[in-house]
This record gives sequence, structure tokens and C-alpha cells, in this order.
Amino acid sequence: MASDSRPDTPWPADDFSRVPFDVFTSADQYAREQSHIFRGPVWNYLCLEIEIPQAGDFVRTWVGELSVLVSRAEDGSIHAYENSCAHRGAQLTSKLRGNTRRHTCAYHLWTYSLAGDLVGVPMEKGVNGKGGMPPHFDKRKHGLNRLRVTTFGGLVFGTLSNDTPPIEAFLGPHAVGQIQRLLVQRQPRVLGYLRQRIPGNWKLYNENVRDPYHGSLLHLFQVSFRLQQPTMRGGIRMDADLKNTWNHSILTEEESGNRKTLADAYEGTGKFAPEMRMADPSLTQVPLDLGDGYKTTILSIFPTLVVAQVDNTYAIRHLRPKGPNLVELHITYLGFESDTPEMTQDKLLTSNFIGPAGYISLEDGEALRLVQEGIRTRRPGQHEMLEMGGVGDIRDTDYLSQEISIRGFWSFYHRIMGEAA
Amino acid sequence: MTPDLMLRLQVETFLYEYAALLDEERFAEWPGLFAESPCRYEVLSRENVDLSLPVPIMSCYSHGMVRDRVAMLVQGTLTYRKMHLLRQVSNVRAEAATDGSVIARAGITVFQSDEEGVSSLYIVGRYHAHLTRHQESFRITAMSVVVDSFGIDTMLAVPI
Repeated sequence: MASDSRPDTPWPADDFSRVPFDVFTSADQYAREQSHIFRGPVWNYLCLEIEIPQAGDFVRTWVGELSVLVSRAEDGSIHAYENSCAHRGAQLTSKLRGNTRRHTCAYHLWTYSLAGDLVGVPMEKGVNGKGGMPPHFDKRKHGLNRLRVTTFGGLVFGTLSNDTPPIEAFLGPHAVGQIQRLLVQRQPRVLGYLRQRIPGNWKLYNENVRDPYHGSLLHLFQVSFRLQQPTMRGGIRMDADLKNTWNHSILTEEESGNRKTLADAYEGTGKFAPEMRMADPSLTQVPLDLGDGYKTTILSIFPTLVVAQVDNTYAIRHLRPKGPNLVELHITYLGFESDTPEMTQDKLLTSNFIGPAGYISLEDGEALRLVQEGIRTRRPGQHEMLEMGGVGDIRDTDYLSQEISIRGFWSFYHRIMGEAA
Repeated sequence: MTPDLMLRLQVETFLYEYAALLDEERFAEWPGLFAESPCRYEVLSRENVDLSLPVPIMSCYSHGMVRDRVAMLVQGTLTYRKMHLLRQVSNVRAEAATDGSVIARAGITVFQSDEEGVSSLYIVGRYHAHLTRHQESFRITAMSVVVDSFGIDTMLAVPI
């Protein structure tokens, strides 16, 4: 029911068409998310396997607020652990990436294997028979705090919970298919990183990527230059938990000629500029690598991973929350080993679509800032409303102007946080 | 005055004009500071440069792309946070190449100030530009801005 059927609870609508604004601003809520979500039964995206190809390669990443090292050991296995010494808790490394045989804490030189086992404690047996660790001290009991690691389609995931389901079940069939399509059928390679610090709650970005309704309304570049329109065909698919969404759009020829519909949709906004023409449209003329007709596909995996194809760009987006009011959007921009030099150059050209300066993305930073600023002082008990595309059942659609998959996100969020119904 | 010093003063004058033009939001005039061809403008993150990874934060590979980059700013169809920006160009160095062109290097710091008069640091980076002589001044044939502050605050809507 879309109506406020349970007015006395924070979540008054059982179809999650009402979301309490508090969840975006409360420091307590943010702290509970660290334990219930990021240390809870989810697979957190860590990195790509291709970022740590050799034994000893490591990267530093984030699981919620937690700093995590991901290392490849001599036998090729991948390990992840908290970036904090078992002794006094010092950060083991500030480096973002590198290659090492051991992780050694700078403070007292406690040393860990690439698997996270404590292998060296200076002066463990004392000096000249004096001092040292007590007889019962056992290095095996003082390894780093480990995450359980799994990989799927070249993505490395970690979890801190024993209750996390197997990765394929966690991802669901649409994610499995899209990861195959985007990351497995061609071998990806990293063309670079883009970072954007958005002054908004990390869940606002989860809403944003599950919200194709805003696409052609906020991002006028696409509309101005006929790249996308409100009439565009597409739809959404969710997993059984409703937490992961795949939305996709297909641009058809007859629709790209329909300027009347477009003008109607923007009537009175002052934002429609039908006379705009690109001086150099080469960016919009790059052919799609994959001949499968999808113009945009956004795969959003709870809680912080997005695997996105926007036009002919391919990228991993990772959310790194920095408190209730700030999130870093970390983008790993991909090409493919099979790309010719011309195709790589085209991917640098089309990178203008995405990232902090991206023609089809830069306004998202501002939209999230505006929401966070707008809700900061809303009274307790007030809600955002999500009714576009229909209320009630949370289900897949064959249309894009919808907020149904956002309600899917919230239904799972509500469940995993163990909040009162 | 030595020729080296004279060249540096000319380059400084050009870069100060460049910065002032953008600070004053005269975006339609920005493409006029670039040569028709070759013409290249890039904003790059230090992280990618240090890793020899090619992806730019913002890039224009033709004069048309330079014009397109500011078209929505000129039209007012871009949704972004309007901040008053102050670009401070520093540590300017200029070097004459054998073909008559000039290589310019400088530091760039951009402060942002909101509608309520609250200021913060927005961008820290370095210009590396190839300039060609044009009348009494220069035109840019290639310019890269490598930013140390590649964790971009909110968005990068305007050129640096």
C-alpha cells in the first residue's frame, strides 16, 4: 500500500514508498550500517583480480569505513584483511597499491605473511634472556582480522560474516549474466581511475543508480544532443531479494526522431535547447563494442558496487562512505585486452560521458548534494515518497520512468538492518 | 630585460588572462584562447599520470570539443553548483622551443566560494601548455592540467 498505513512507525508504508529522511542523516544509523551491512551478510566489492596479477601485489580498499588490504599470495590465492596491526592497531600501510613479500607494521616491525598470518615479532624471546613475550604467546592466534574472500567474473569480494550466502545466489541471475557480458566475454584492463567526493549519503547514490526516471530530466546533455529521451525503451530487473537491480535502455531510430514528445516533457522548464548542435560530435559517434543493442546498462549490487555500461564506456563504480554526509564515488575505467589502439583512443574520448566531469553524470553529484542539503533539517518522522511507475508490488518493469527498484533497495535495507516493521 | 625574462612575462600575462576569463565566467570566449589545430585540452589526475594510465577526467581533442565543453555552460542548461572560482596561477616557467613555440608550466590553485561567502580549496594542480605565437599573444595548441586534488569535490563542471 502506498498510503501511510502505519503512521506511528519510521517506515509507514509496507511497499517502501515512504523512506524516513533520518536514514540519510543520522550518525547512529550510519554506525549501525557499519555493523549490520558492511560487517553483515553481504559480499563487499574489494577490487578486480587484474589489479593484483602477480604474487605480492596488493591494493588498499574500503569496506564501509573499514580500511582493507587485498593481497595475492605466492600460491596465487587472494586474501583480504583489515589494514590494522594485531598488536597496537596501527595502520599497516598507507600505500594504495604495490608489491611486497610481507606486510610489516612500522611501529614495532610485527610482520605478516601475504595471507595475513603473523610471522615475525621482534624480540619475541627477549634480549639476552630478559624480557620478551610471555611463554603462552602464540603468533598463530594474532594474525590480521581476515575477511572471507570469493571471486566472480574477475571481481573480488569479501565478507566479514559467516552467514553470507554463496556469491552466485547473492548476485542473482541478472547480475551473473551481466558480469559475463561486460567483464568475462572480453578480458578487461584498467585504463584509469576517477574519483568524486559527493556531499551526500551513500544510499542516495544507490537510489540514483536505481532511478532511470531522472536520467533524461537531470542530464540534459543526452537530450540536447538526442542521445536519450524520456520515451526511450528499456526496463528493470531485480534479484529475488530485490536488492540488486539491472536497468537497461535501448535507443530506437523512430524514437530518436520524436522531438515533439521531448518538447512536451520539458515544457516550461527552460532547459530544453532543441537548437543545440555539437561542434564535434565524434564523441557520440563511437560505435558500441557489443553488438547487442544495449545503449546503457546499469547493474547495481547491494551495498556499494555498480557495473556500468554507459554508451561505449565500461566502468566499475565503488561507493566508499565517509560519514553520513559524504561518499567517495571511486570509478575504475575499463578497456579490453582485445581493443585496438583506435578503440582505446575512442574510450578516452567517450570517458567524457562519465566521472566527475562526465556529460552524462556530472549533475548527479549536484543532485545528491541538493537532496542531502534539503533533508538535513527536515522534521523527524518525515519521509521521501516513491510512487513513480506504480506502488504496491515491487516487480520488474518494461519501462524506465519508475522508482520501483528503489523501493526494492529499501525493502532489503530494512530487512538487513533489522528495523521495526 | 633578458629574453628569458621577457618570455616569462608574456606567458604570465597570457595565463593570467586565461584564468581571469574563466573566473569571470566568460565561457564563450574560452575556445578563442586555443588554436584551431592542433588543439588539445585535458584535465588529468595525478594518480593516473603516476600509474601511466591514460584516462582523463576531462578531455577535448579538437577545437570543436573545446567549444562543446562550454556549450551547456553558455546556454545555461547544465545543472551544477554555481561557485565563484578564483584561479591563482603561480610558479610560472616558460621555455622557447626550437620551432618557435613556447612551453609553459605553472602551478594552479582554485578556490571556491559559495553564495553565502564561504570559501574552500577546490583544485590544486599544474598547467603544462604548448603555446604558439598569435599576434602579440599566444594560442594554446595543447594544455594539460594535472590535478593533485583528483578526489574531485562534487563535480568538475567548468574548465580549469
